[in-house]
Amino acid sequence: MMPTTRSFEITGLFDKESDCHKLLYAPVSHPWTYRETVVYNVTFEGEAGALEAFVGRVLVDPISQAMQDGSGSAFPAAAFVLEYGMKGGALDLEKETILNYYRALPEPGFNIQKLVLRRRVYVFGEGADSAPFVKDVCNPAIHTWEVKQQAAA
Amino acid sequence: MPHALLIKFPGTNCDAETARALEAAGFTAEVLPVALLDESALDRTQLVVFSGGFSYGDYVMSGRIAQLITKNKLGDRLRKFVDDGGYALGICNGFQILAQMDLLPKASLIHNASGRFMCRWVPLKKNGSKVSPFLSALPEQFELPVAHAEGRVVTMAGDAAGYVKSGLAPLLYGADVNGSTEGIAGLQDETGRVFGLMPHPERFLFKADHYDPDWSGAEQGWGYYFFKGAFEAMTA
Repeated sequence: MMPTTRSFEITGLFDKESDCHKLLYAPVSHPWTYRETVVYNVTFEGEAGALEAFVGRVLVDPISQAMQDGSGSAFPAAAFVLEYGMKGGALDLEKETILNYYRALPEPGFNIQKLVLRRRVYVFGEGADSAPFVKDVCNPAIHTWEVKQQAAA
Repeated sequence: MPHALLIKFPGTNCDAETARALEAAGFTAEVLPVALLDESALDRTQLVVFSGGFSYGDYVMSGRIAQLITKNKLGDRLRKFVDDGGYALGICNGFQILAQMDLLPKASLIHNASGRFMCRWVPLKKNGSKVSPFLSALPEQFELPVAHAEGRVVTMAGDAAGYVKSGLAPLLYGADVNGSTEGIAGLQDETGRVFGLMPHPERFLFKADHYDPDWSGAEQGWGYYFFKGAFEAMTA
């Protein structure tokens, strides 16, 4: 059986667009806002339904969060998306915590071959510039990142 | 003498203070690492305590992994323990764990509305006529310290107001502290024997713990009366 990769993006139902200065060290003269999500990219073999149940049970809070396909954009109106995560060789403790829990399951019904966690920062506002966000959010010693420009709504 | 079992996860860091507070109120207390937890552990206790801290680094969301591992180890045994008259208490991270175990009214604890960790003293007030044993020895209004990043209580639409009205939310903030819906600081089940709260009663055991050196609100800190109320209910 060929491994398959599924991407799950988790958004907070109670989250709102927040002032971008919560993320930045230096003030900017624009009223930009942002929202954050988490993306779990899972490469696996086995039952897709069992994986979805695992994700729903372990990674999503039914009251405060929603899960969607992470291959798209949760907020198409954003000016850009900064997606970042730990470098391949860096210790990702959240990933290890999830995998440790998974490995202790007697019969999960699927086999995780690779798990990659990414965080997305969706930035809203006319002319939003990704440079200060990359500088202040990402740490080149431990992170990899990419900026995806989106069409303005 | 009632016995309290404090389950310690990797990252739990308030167990020693909580055990001390329980012992001051009259309990015997035992801290049990989760690796040693099994169903038989509940046979020797009257109170199960989930203490504060950052279990499993708060990864995924606070309390999630601890809740899943507890569920795997105990199954429905904790539910049966409560149904048979046992007590369960969750403080801060323990409340976050307990809230996900179907022992309390449905609610989640998410990031504070400020988006930041907070560490401060907060005013609190008792709510409703269904007095929790844990609150029975406390006055209508008192204060305790909080220290959390994810303490904002949220529920399905309308549930929080229902909890306040029915008394399932017996403890409210006296001000908007973290954006909690309806100002909920603590929840209890229908029996009152399961109680979860974000403030830390174990951190205000003695008068000297108060930020005001001249504080004279009671003989002991309010946290002492929190645990003493439970002790008296369990030994009545």
